[in-house]
Amino acid sequence: MHWLSKKKNLFIMMMPTLIIYSVYIIAAVFIAIYYSFTKYSGIGKPMFYGFKNYMRVFEDRFFWVSLKNTFIVLVISLVFLTILGFLIANIFRVKRRGNNLSKALVFSPAIISPIIVGIIWLYILDPEIGLLNAVLQSLGLEDWMQIWIGGTVLSPYMYAIIFIWRQMGYITTIFVAGLNMIPGEVYESAEIDGASGWQRMIYITIPMVRGTFTIVMLLVITGVFKIFEFVVQLTNGGPNHLSEVLVTYSYSVTFMNGEYGYGMALATVTFIITLFLSTLYNFTTRDKEGAK
Amino acid sequence: MTSSVGSKGVRLVLSITLAVITAVTMIPLIWMLFMSFKTNSEIYSTPLSLPSSFSLENYSRAMETLNIGRMYVNTAYVALMSVGIALVISFMSSYALSRMTFRNPNLQKALKQYMLLGLMISPFILLFPMYRISVATNIYNTFWALILPYIATQLSFNSLLFVNFFKGLPVEVEEAALIDGCNLPQMCWRVIAPMAMPVIITVVIFNILYVWNEYPLASILIRKPELYTLSMGASMFKGAYSVDNAGIVAASVLIIVPQLVFYGFFQRYIVDGMTAGAVKG
Repeated sequence: MHWLSKKKNLFIMMMPTLIIYSVYIIAAVFIAIYYSFTKYSGIGKPMFYGFKNYMRVFEDRFFWVSLKNTFIVLVISLVFLTILGFLIANIFRVKRRGNNLSKALVFSPAIISPIIVGIIWLYILDPEIGLLNAVLQSLGLEDWMQIWIGGTVLSPYMYAIIFIWRQMGYITTIFVAGLNMIPGEVYESAEIDGASGWQRMIYITIPMVRGTFTIVMLLVITGVFKIFEFVVQLTNGGPNHLSEVLVTYSYSVTFMNGEYGYGMALATVTFIITLFLSTLYNFTTRDKEGAK
Repeated sequence: MTSSVGSKGVRLVLSITLAVITAVTMIPLIWMLFMSFKTNSEIYSTPLSLPSSFSLENYSRAMETLNIGRMYVNTAYVALMSVGIALVISFMSSYALSRMTFRNPNLQKALKQYMLLGLMISPFILLFPMYRISVATNIYNTFWALILPYIATQLSFNSLLFVNFFKGLPVEVEEAALIDGCNLPQMCWRVIAPMAMPVIITVVIFNILYVWNEYPLASILIRKPELYTLSMGASMFKGAYSVDNAGIVAASVLIIVPQLVFYGFFQRYIVDGMTAGAVKG
């Protein structure tokens, strides 16, 4: 391969990727950080502002509200997607007719454009014309009717349900792939030793797909911090920012209010939280596996 | 797992559970389909009843209000350009990083790591900087304002898959090709690309899905309605159709159905592509 590696060749092969990537990804991160230390409203030059934007983040009530909402979505999604995803994957493993069709259908929400996902759920959750309240009313359960979205309480829980709806098939598929990597002989020998179904689940299946659990939880963590479109569609963060998640709040401060400096401080803090969570999670799981 | 979960009762319960899960997942989509045939007054007055007739009136009204055909063409163009360019340039750079000889091998290793940094970077921190870059380079509000960021956001994922693939590829084929007097372009397109077809398909499908559905970047880099992509157009439905809920639903179905058909045809590749990205990323 040495012959082809003339300087000119290497240059041509590397440059297009390096330039686009360095400008639009790497430099862009530094541009964002730069603006987070300035006060800038789009007119004139950005003014150096020190850490004032960051101080403001921690005093901003709506930052804490959107942080809380994001964590509500995160916790609910983590619990349901990992547990249900794992259980459904185990149901899929038992061969039966219609399995492939079920799998395909359950997976399908994952490929639908997220903006449209927002519209779909608007017509289910909307307190006035949504399917859910109409069904409750027709069943005579008026007391159960709620302001599912756009109120002050339930919106983040609804985001979690929508996220779970969208990701369940995807997460299940990843678990099925993990389960298929367990060699069949392990189960055969366990059966000879007289292990019951539950024992095999607890002592063989779960320990052997631990790696898959790690992947799934990381996917959920990073996925939750990218929930954006259906929040915009369903509530646009309202009323008065009470239904925001972190990314929609920083988007709205940046592009709706035009407070670019403060918006970038919020975006940077959000980014650091995501990085922190996924690295922390990576480290703790790696430690456990190392100790074993 | 196969034999002892075999008691008939248990199997039946599991089958029913699965059928219920599948049905519940599908309800929102089926509901949209029903609503798209109802009139606006039916949606308000008898929300739970079936449509009184299956007329296509909502669909034709949806097409008149917004130029959905145009949005399809725009999205296809942006997807084709960005996925095509990203594929070619990331293929080249990954090949150089895994197979060619750098004067300084440490630089080569460092660049490999450098290319993967993008996997950790959330797109939301990049929105405003990308907007600034497109204004500064005078491409704001053109297709290139979208195409270039879309290329950039695909590069790390592509590099990860390509570099991993090249790592597992035996060098003998390339050595034989070299002895036969093969030059670099021939090596890439005639020798390596055909062998890399499965990875290329995965990369292309994964990226087309991403670009097709992308919204946050489109919402800030494109302002002219005639440049709107599908996601961008869909975000305007509420405003464009105002109180015409039947129109909104019909327009949404016009976006969902082609996606589901595409998924029906390429299901295996799509599922493989998305899970490969997860497991390797």
